[in-house]
Amino acid sequence: MSEVQAPTPTEGGTTIGTGLRRWLVRPEAPALVFLAVLLVAFSLSSDKFLSGSNLESILVSVAVLGTIALAVNQVILCGEIDISTGSMMGLCAVAAGAVATSTGGLILPLLTGVAVGALAGAVNGLLATLGRIPSIIVTLGMLYALRGVILLVTGGSWITGIPDETRVLGTGSVLGIEYPVFVLLILFVVMELVSRHSTWGRNVFAVGGNRRASRLAGLPIDRVRFTAFVLVGVFVGIASIIYLGRAGSVQTNTGTGLELQVVAAVVIGGTSISGGRGSTLAALTGAVLIGVILNGLILLGVPGIWQDAVLGALILLAVATDVLRRRLLGDKS
Amino acid sequence: MSAATAVLRRFKFSREVVLLGVLIVLMFVMSLLSPLFFTVGNLLNTSRFFVEVGLMALGMTLIIITGGIDLSVGSNVALVSVAVGFTYAAGLPLPLAIVFGLVVGLAAGLFNGLFITLLDLHPLVVTLGTFALFQGLAYGLSNAQAVSDFPDWFAYFGQAYFLNVVPGQLFIFILAVVVVWLILSRTRFGRYVYAIGNNEEAAHFSGVPVRRVKLALYSGIGLLVGMAAVIYTSRVYTARGDSGLGLELDVISAVVLGGASIYGGSGTIGGTVLGVLIIATLRNGLVLAGVPSTWQVFVLGVLLLVAVFLNEFFRRREE
Repeated sequence: MSEVQAPTPTEGGTTIGTGLRRWLVRPEAPALVFLAVLLVAFSLSSDKFLSGSNLESILVSVAVLGTIALAVNQVILCGEIDISTGSMMGLCAVAAGAVATSTGGLILPLLTGVAVGALAGAVNGLLATLGRIPSIIVTLGMLYALRGVILLVTGGSWITGIPDETRVLGTGSVLGIEYPVFVLLILFVVMELVSRHSTWGRNVFAVGGNRRASRLAGLPIDRVRFTAFVLVGVFVGIASIIYLGRAGSVQTNTGTGLELQVVAAVVIGGTSISGGRGSTLAALTGAVLIGVILNGLILLGVPGIWQDAVLGALILLAVATDVLRRRLLGDKS
Repeated sequence: MSAATAVLRRFKFSREVVLLGVLIVLMFVMSLLSPLFFTVGNLLNTSRFFVEVGLMALGMTLIIITGGIDLSVGSNVALVSVAVGFTYAAGLPLPLAIVFGLVVGLAAGLFNGLFITLLDLHPLVVTLGTFALFQGLAYGLSNAQAVSDFPDWFAYFGQAYFLNVVPGQLFIFILAVVVVWLILSRTRFGRYVYAIGNNEEAAHFSGVPVRRVKLALYSGIGLLVGMAAVIYTSRVYTARGDSGLGLELDVISAVVLGGASIYGGSGTIGGTVLGVLIIATLRNGLVLAGVPSTWQVFVLGVLLLVAVFLNEFFRRREE
């Protein structure tokens, strides 16, 4: 990290102060603090909470959400948004499920899911870039249109009897880690590297931070945003295989409401909804935070019907904190 | 291509004429699809369904003209419906319960408005949050139960017929259309709305009270949602946490179809009313033709995308 190159401190305490300050301005810092507080609070109020199996089950339960959030994070960093992921996940699961029941295996359903997702993501990307339609409208329209495609394809019936070899990403484990968690962590590392070290990853921050300056600097802003939308499709495709493995069947309403959880995860984690500011760790932290909160609510005996209200309140809380924090830090952007 | 643009250029002044043409063609097609469509009874009956969407679309038009959006209207319908039904079930006299419902709708809109103006947040983020919040509150407060033992007179709002054929709520809608049209085209407030949509910063420096206008708009649509929700609850005679689910799609589609630019600055009440009529005709025709409701959602989703795309396409051609 760059703390090493910090200007020479004049007083003894300043190094720690600067280090702490630097850490606190990191996008995911408030979410991590909040997560720590919650972990302590829930483990004090319920002795079941802090058991290893409960913690792992939380991670497993957020694998689908987290995987998609890692990609939507890039879209939001570009200054765009994607609220079509719920229906997109349903469609990928339907396509992958249909292939799985006829051919079996893992690779072919996975490729199908990824291809369908990438195609849907490409439609989003084309409409948002070449079509010049705001991405909120594009993906709102796609949220409903894709749900219609699911009904067209399935005729309203469920897909059941997913073979065991296809379900391995949801049920199996490797090196003592359950596959969903393993996949999520691998993708996190990949996205962290892409975001920090690839040209596209840096361009995403530039385009989201200041689109006009990026255009004047000659960055391919349309291509950068298009790629982000396609990436969401690819990750949704991967997530749909985890979902298939965990659920073992696909319904026509699979994925309903997931899009809200995904956006909530990204903004709660600390990625700014106005783009240009955030991190891969923020998306992961946000997803885990949502998992912990939903799990904690269940342990505390709060009925599941309050989930949406909690989610909505969290989104509002997160965006409000983001604004207030930027005002406090005097950041004008 | 240039000949086609020239023709379109000539019709540029009256997008409403084009929409009217679309509506007539649509009605013709629908009457071919189903012999039941072109009957006076059915046409008037259709109006029953578009009044709720129409009321909200009026408010949404003004909001979209300022460059904003409100995704929470469908959830707010659920919240108001639950507020009316469950305070009534808890013993509050129904007239007071209805007033309470309207206040809840207004308060929800005000909440959106305060959040947007005080924190300078983009409305789509705020209303995406309140979309989930209001929906969740409606589910949670109703405990996923329904209330439907309303007294007979409650049906007046959503099921009454005037002279045995004209649905009562049509009058409420016509009145609302006239009022909102007057506000938008004949008052200083209406000019402010366009000014904010064209250039918010310039409007601010010209002395337009941008925040107060926005606050009024988001509260206003809350009140319209409240009215729509009371009519909806009366029409289906049930208050439930999933009332109005997904209505935001109909509302936004109608406004955009009516020609309001999603980037703000342009839009008319006449266009929106035609947009509402087209969507209602489409929905009604699809129902009569036996198309399942989930497919209608697909058609609406695609329609929304096509409408926005064409709007922006022609706007860029004109510039």
